[in-house]
Amino acid sequence: MHTSHRLELYPEQTVTQLLFKCVKNAKELRKSVMEGKIDAAFINPKMLVDPFQVLVAANKAVHLQTIGKMKTRSLYSEVIFNLSPTNNISEAFKRFGISDTDDSVLVVLITTEGESQVLADVVEKVDGQQIPVAELSTLNDVTQIKKLYKVTPQEEKLGSLLDSVVCRMAIKDVL
Amino acid sequence: MEVNKKEESMAVSGFLLKERVLRQGAEARVYRASFLGRSSVVKERFSKKYRHPVLDRRLSDRRTLQEVRCILRCRRAGIPTPAVYFVDYTSHCIFMEDIVDSVTVRDHIASTQRRSDPSSALEQLVPLAAKVGRVLAQMHQEDVVHGDLTTSNMLLRKSQDPAELGLVLIDFGLSSVSALPEDKGVDLYVLEKAFLSTHPNTERLFQELLNSYVASSKKSSPVIKKLDEVRLRGRKRSMVG
Repeated sequence: MHTSHRLELYPEQTVTQLLFKCVKNAKELRKSVMEGKIDAAFINPKMLVDPFQVLVAANKAVHLQTIGKMKTRSLYSEVIFNLSPTNNISEAFKRFGISDTDDSVLVVLITTEGESQVLADVVEKVDGQQIPVAELSTLNDVTQIKKLYKVTPQEEKLGSLLDSVVCRMAIKDVL
Repeated sequence: MEVNKKEESMAVSGFLLKERVLRQGAEARVYRASFLGRSSVVKERFSKKYRHPVLDRRLSDRRTLQEVRCILRCRRAGIPTPAVYFVDYTSHCIFMEDIVDSVTVRDHIASTQRRSDPSSALEQLVPLAAKVGRVLAQMHQEDVVHGDLTTSNMLLRKSQDPAELGLVLIDFGLSSVSALPEDKGVDLYVLEKAFLSTHPNTERLFQELLNSYVASSKKSSPVIKKLDEVRLRGRKRSMVG
């Protein structure tokens, strides 16, 4: 059900994504994350185009952690921050983090080998129905995504929305 | 911190060691590699031992930055360029979209010229020249100056519909943002030199390109005026006196 990808640049790290709908305990989850009880990123899937977008954010987070240049305090908060088109941290959390009323959530785990237990732990904690990550497109809001990332109509003609989104995420720190 | 930096550069360059080199120039090496499960192209600006290390880092920093900025600026305006996936500013590597199933405009022109007799080859290439002119006019309209326009730095997507020309501009390594007609004129001059020397007997084709440039840009007349000036004196401005 989940998808895992071993990072080419950091082969000891694997990024795992899990998608849930009909989640009933978003409030509780958010609290546990903020208290540091769960080590994972909980993301609101509304602004996600594709799992690749999350991989790009995770790869960048691992990279910045390795060179000691993270903008936020933890690896998982950095993943959320990297998804945002702006350099404003609190806005990134508002848009991409989960809020108490959310009923769907995408969980991101970055693990080294031999940490398979973490996965089961997370599945246990989320009170919802796990669905394949590929079904992300049924939960997102393309109009909102275009607005948030400021994708112009001219740019839409170039091809995929995913490319436009990822390109902004990759370049935002030097604009 | 310093130690970390070194380690990092090794993570990315260690990864690149195993990948296939597509092209190597004086400025950078280009690889094709799988990145986050996608086919991608990696451009690595390697360090130049003949330069002073501080200067070397500065130039590489600057050019990497300029390259990704101009790519995004072009994409925003609807000018096709490869999407950027990831940038490592410590090892000066840009990971970007692989434009699959494409040929360089250079190869396309050369093969068309080989296939048919000179006059019909030119005839076939006119729509392409016009397209290049249009895209460059659009790029200059956005005040992006490419800095290294050649027919090798333009890709043509192979598509089912031959009438639809999928032109993609690549290699913004020397690009800058400038509104000056002088810079845009030099941009066109560099292309003219490269175009006519790589593709003999294509003066008429290049003229078509310029005509289409003029027709599609509102601000073209000062640029063409500058181009005429630059033709007489060369790319560099005279600094005598």
